[in-house]
Amino acid sequence: MATQKTDVVIVGVGAVGGILAAELGKAGMKVIGLERGPRLTTQDFSALDELRYFQRQELRPSSKRQPVTWRPDAKTNAKPLPILNYGNQAGGGTVHYGALSWRFHEDDFRARSHTIERYGASAIPADSSLTDWPLTYADLEPFYDQAEYELGVSGRAGNLQGRKTDAGNPFEAPRRREYPLPALLPDQSGVIFAAAGQKLGYHPFSSPRAILSQPYQGRAGCTYCGFCQSFGCHMAAKSSILVTKLPEADATGNFKLLTGTMCYRVNSDNSGRVTGVSYYAADGSDNTIEADLVILATFIYDNTRLLLLSKTAKFPNGLANSSGQLGKHLMAHIGARVFVAFDDRYVNIYMGPSAQKHSLDDFNADNFDHSGMKFVRGAQLSVTPADLEAGPIGASISMNPPPGIPRWGAAYRDFLAKYFARYAAFIAQTENLPYADQTVDLDPHVRDQYGMPAPRLTYDWRRPNEVARIEFLLNKLEELGRASGATHVWRSPTGSGAPGAHHEGGTRMGSDPKLSVVNRYGQSWDIPNLFVIGSSTFPTMSGFNPTLTIQALAYSSADAIVNRYKKSPGALV
Amino acid sequence: MSKHDSTRRSFLKRAAVGAGAVAGSGLVPDVYTQTLEQHKDAAAPSESHATSIQHGAFFNYEQGTTIAAFTERLMPGAPGKAGARDAGVLNYIDLALAGAYADLQDFYRRGLAELDAYCRTTYKQPFAQLEPARQDEVITTLEQGKAAGFSWPTAQEFFNVVRTHTMEGMFADPIYGGNRDFAGWRLVGFPGAQGNFTATDLQNKQTFTRAPMTGLQAQAGLQAQAKNPQRTE
Ligand SMILES: Cc1cc2nc3c(=O)[nH]c(=O)nc-3n(C[C@H](O)[C@H](O)[C@H](O)COP(=O)(O)OP(=O)(O)OC[C@H]3O[C@@H](n4cnc5c(N)ncnc54)[C@H](O)[C@@H]3O)c2cc1C
Repeated sequence: MATQKTDVVIVGVGAVGGILAAELGKAGMKVIGLERGPRLTTQDFSALDELRYFQRQELRPSSKRQPVTWRPDAKTNAKPLPILNYGNQAGGGTVHYGALSWRFHEDDFRARSHTIERYGASAIPADSSLTDWPLTYADLEPFYDQAEYELGVSGRAGNLQGRKTDAGNPFEAPRRREYPLPALLPDQSGVIFAAAGQKLGYHPFSSPRAILSQPYQGRAGCTYCGFCQSFGCHMAAKSSILVTKLPEADATGNFKLLTGTMCYRVNSDNSGRVTGVSYYAADGSDNTIEADLVILATFIYDNTRLLLLSKTAKFPNGLANSSGQLGKHLMAHIGARVFVAFDDRYVNIYMGPSAQKHSLDDFNADNFDHSGMKFVRGAQLSVTPADLEAGPIGASISMNPPPGIPRWGAAYRDFLAKYFARYAAFIAQTENLPYADQTVDLDPHVRDQYGMPAPRLTYDWRRPNEVARIEFLLNKLEELGRASGATHVWRSPTGSGAPGAHHEGGTRMGSDPKLSVVNRYGQSWDIPNLFVIGSSTFPTMSGFNPTLTIQALAYSSADAIVNRYKKSPGALV
Repeated sequence: MSKHDSTRRSFLKRAAVGAGAVAGSGLVPDVYTQTLEQHKDAAAPSESHATSIQHGAFFNYEQGTTIAAFTERLMPGAPGKAGARDAGVLNYIDLALAGAYADLQDFYRRGLAELDAYCRTTYKQPFAQLEPARQDEVITTLEQGKAAGFSWPTAQEFFNVVRTHTMEGMFADPIYGGNRDFAGWRLVGFPGAQGNFTATDLQNKQTFTRAPMTGLQAQAGLQAQAKNPQRTE
């Protein structure tokens, strides 16, 4: 049992933790980062191996050792989710993510007010906890800019300081300047998707991604190998935290990374402050870090679980939970898919960065009129391989063949043989509304490898608003499919109510301590020297992938800690 | 039986040079094979092609025969179209169960016993001895969860796992023991791991043929050669 003292302990060194480590370290604060996984290097990713990284999920947490359980409702027993969608090593999920890097729309930050202004309060489902964020797009814009330039994001501006550019995404919120790098080249699936979108009068564009289209900051540009989502980048062209912020944190001389360390409790005293954390090291030993400031950056499950597990006589419902909101408002993206396949040409979708390659934003947020529709909010539409990964294992596991063709046998073999290199998936990534009864709590039956109760999700997206949205979007995707000139267009089943990608919520941020867990900086309302940062704080989710917004929030928190909290520790709001 | 024994002996002999060598022998371009041949005790590379029913790391003879027949119905071979047998799917699953999927050993043991009992009750014969059309009938009842007598794994669970592993054995890099001679990749027109696609490649509306397929072992061999040319001569 060892005890160390430091200024700041960061638990989880992924998208969030890496940014805070570098920024606080640069400001002269002594930082220890606890990361349960290893620290890999670019050399470790030289094997372009679909079985290892996509199918066997080597870079993700193990669903056996680190189970996260799910049940559709409170009456059903929860079972471990088979696949976990977050990180398990230094750099976290950014090591293997698809690197889609979006700024949210202005109305994403005020979804409730905006909906009421345009459609009236009755448009919002009575049981939804749809709300506004405690900050605006304009508040976050400088930090989006910082993230794009420091990490390296490729894209094309659609809205420069309020002026539409006739390129990029015309629906994007105003940005102060161009992207640091030009947009990535489209492959043939992008070309097909763009032509279909234009034909129907929409506005397709190459998706902005944290992947270098050209050399940048000493790293090489992308070689379009296609082993992208699920894989570490063998070129370091993906702007993961591993190759961006961690070297920066190292260079400060103030950062110490402890890998193979599992934090199991946040310690607190009777004065109402946290004093540090306890963790198990790789050798099984039980250790303590004493710190003035504790930052949880473990992704939504452990951000919630650690607060619940750290309850004391003073905080009987868990830390930071005087509001009773801890663990509530869980959200996830659902992907509605339509497949297209061509008899007269090849698509070769395995070329180029694999995830959500080309997009259109015409049906996202409130970019289209919802009057007379049975739902509010929308989805980001894009073209992608079957499971956002482009190899033949992925296609054979994740692509349902068209109606009439079985999943095995000679007809299936011939289907794969003919269409593997001639198909694409059009996908809608939906902005599902928050509901208070969608929750993260502690599973009373399932434990992880450390004997800690597993995080348990109670969630079912199949609510009237969301079901109506999916049906609308599947029709749009089919329309796009037909406009693409594809020989075959068919739907993928929408499946069970299980949460899809990008889990969010659990430690909601807000402007009212009675209705939220943390303030806009991720600072606990109850305990000022405790911060919780990541998508667990999102009040609503947007149809866009979350990570650039997570990273902008991390920069915003770092700025507040360095420039204000450090000088006078206390409540920031 | 004697055929099985000789297969097993040659398997064990090859295993002496490491699991990767079993998987990759005969598959990879010259650079790696050359390195292998420097092992004096390595078996002749041609032996890996001696029989199409390769197993011995986990399955017993009957289990191996059943899985070979079952996976061949899931991905049947035909002239010019590689199937599970051509790709070495049995060898893939056998090696996986002895290693990465060791926690599924009981799943397979029990599932195969359930399948055997079901076929003997319904058709008075084990699965492998049924006509292909009958085999398809059995697989369909499994897929639909209608086969009687399954508890754990259920018929559907067993079907789904064997289907998934068949696809892995068809399409995973040959280093894992399936996808022999890139049979699966050739079948579907996947060029395998290519480190680089050019702007011209991205505009191609035809099938990709610019560069040859290489497996992981060949790539590792090339890396070693690039780093240290004299070692691989
Ligand atoms: C396959 C895949 C593709 C994705 N693609 C995209 C995309 O294209 N665009 C996008 O915006 N987002 C994408 N995401 C999501 C993205 O990865 C996450 O939003 C992001 O990584 C979250 O950042 P984080 O810092 O909160 O968590 P993470 O990056 O996951 O980091 C958390 C870290 O904490 C560690 N940890 C957890 N608990 C503990 C503990 N108790 N003690 C010690 N360490 C702990 C974990 O090991 C992990 O490394 C993708 C995710 C996956 C899985």
